[in-house]
Amino acid sequence: MITNSPVKIWRTQKKIAKHLGKEGIIESYTIIKVPPLGFENLAPYPVVLVALNKERLIGQLVDYEKEDIRIGRKVEVVLRRVKQPSKEGIIPYGIKFKPV
Amino acid sequence: MKVGILGAASSKFGELWDISPKQLVNQTIKETIANSNIKISEVEAIYVGNMLSGILGNQENLGAFFAEELGFNLPAFKIEGACASGGLALHNAILAIRSGLYQKVLVIGVEKMTDHKPEEVSLALMGAGSSAERTAGLTFPGLYALIARVYMNKYRVTQEDLAAVAVKNHYHGSLNPKAHFRYRVTIEKVLKSPVVADPLKLLDCSPISDGASCAILANGDIAKKKHQKPVWIMASSVATDTLNLTKRDNLTSLKAVVMAAKKAYSESGINPSNIDIAEVHDCFTIAEIIALEDLGFFEKGKAGKAVRKGQLTLGTAPKLVVNSSGGLKACGHPVGATGVKQLVEVVEQLRGVANGRQVDRAKVGLTHNVGGSGAVAAVHILKT
Repeated sequence: MITNSPVKIWRTQKKIAKHLGKEGIIESYTIIKVPPLGFENLAPYPVVLVALNKERLIGQLVDYEKEDIRIGRKVEVVLRRVKQPSKEGIIPYGIKFKPV
Repeated sequence: MKVGILGAASSKFGELWDISPKQLVNQTIKETIANSNIKISEVEAIYVGNMLSGILGNQENLGAFFAEELGFNLPAFKIEGACASGGLALHNAILAIRSGLYQKVLVIGVEKMTDHKPEEVSLALMGAGSSAERTAGLTFPGLYALIARVYMNKYRVTQEDLAAVAVKNHYHGSLNPKAHFRYRVTIEKVLKSPVVADPLKLLDCSPISDGASCAILANGDIAKKKHQKPVWIMASSVATDTLNLTKRDNLTSLKAVVMAAKKAYSESGINPSNIDIAEVHDCFTIAEIIALEDLGFFEKGKAGKAVRKGQLTLGTAPKLVVNSSGGLKACGHPVGATGVKQLVEVVEQLRGVANGRQVDRAKVGLTHNVGGSGAVAAVHILKT
């Protein structure tokens, strides 16, 4: 399972900045109880589908209270570590959401 | 050019730790050839549907891998389209015969999943999704859970309605000796099963399975000569949509399915109301409900209640029976095998050899195979 190429992480991370700080509304959500490889120590975690102005984004919800996990809740895009770093030591970052 | 099916067979589906993919395919080919009235040496090409042999088993080059097993040299191809790999392999085999290049073609669908930890399988399956979905730590149950919540809110469908799909398919699976799960479940049992990705529970989800399915396809003249009851391919269509769920306009319908179904109905001149049996891609209970609507069997929002009333269950259905094999839910879901297994089930039903789960007077059948969260769909229509 070759998933943590430092080159790929470096290339992908350049695309993150344009989304940071954007606000949107939770359109759907789930709570992942059985995670994929690399996410075991985060589970269970909520994942939200967020409607922004002209697009939708998807990501985990962080810094939340239980009542924040609902359709219609306003959230904003933040930068967070995605999962455990690979053996090369590169920490993969990506977008997540926090309640506004 | 007409394309007919000679032999078609599936292995036992389930957790098959004592058997390798090679042995699994070998024994399924033998059974298929035995029902085909041809010799294995007459096969002119092989199409293999498989998704995970590389990422999980570190074995690619599957065309040559299985050709070597037949013991002679012939053109052979692996076709990959996530959980629709089997349906896509079938489509390509049909095109090969229609082109006139080959007259007899072997289709193999195979997957070996239970050798690996669930976290590894979940990650490997996410190869069918988008990078953004992987970054979110999503799984396929998670993606369908996002779809389910939107659908349930919009059409006021309950968890009990979803559970009814599992109840029906487990009942059918209990009648199928090849099924992964041969026990029945109740709505209460589904609701009490552990949550995998809220609102989907363990018994809303198809399992991780091992299995293989094969079929021999032949051109019209050969099919008529070699088989007393050839089953004809009336339509074979494929469509795609975005890999990423967030890029779709509508989350309560899969556009790829609607497009492929429309093309299949127009190619065959057959309407949804003519169909006696359908094998639909119930990777999750919500997926069957949406499929029944996208395939034109029900209006939007109506399929869940119909399933719950037993309108698609063997013995109580007025006409159409759905997932008589047990579907992905109970028969099992070895992803690359599934699309071919659906064909095998329809062929057995149309030939009247489905024994304890035979649908009366089944003449027209449909298969619906989906990859990703709706990124690719293959629809086939078959007739005796």
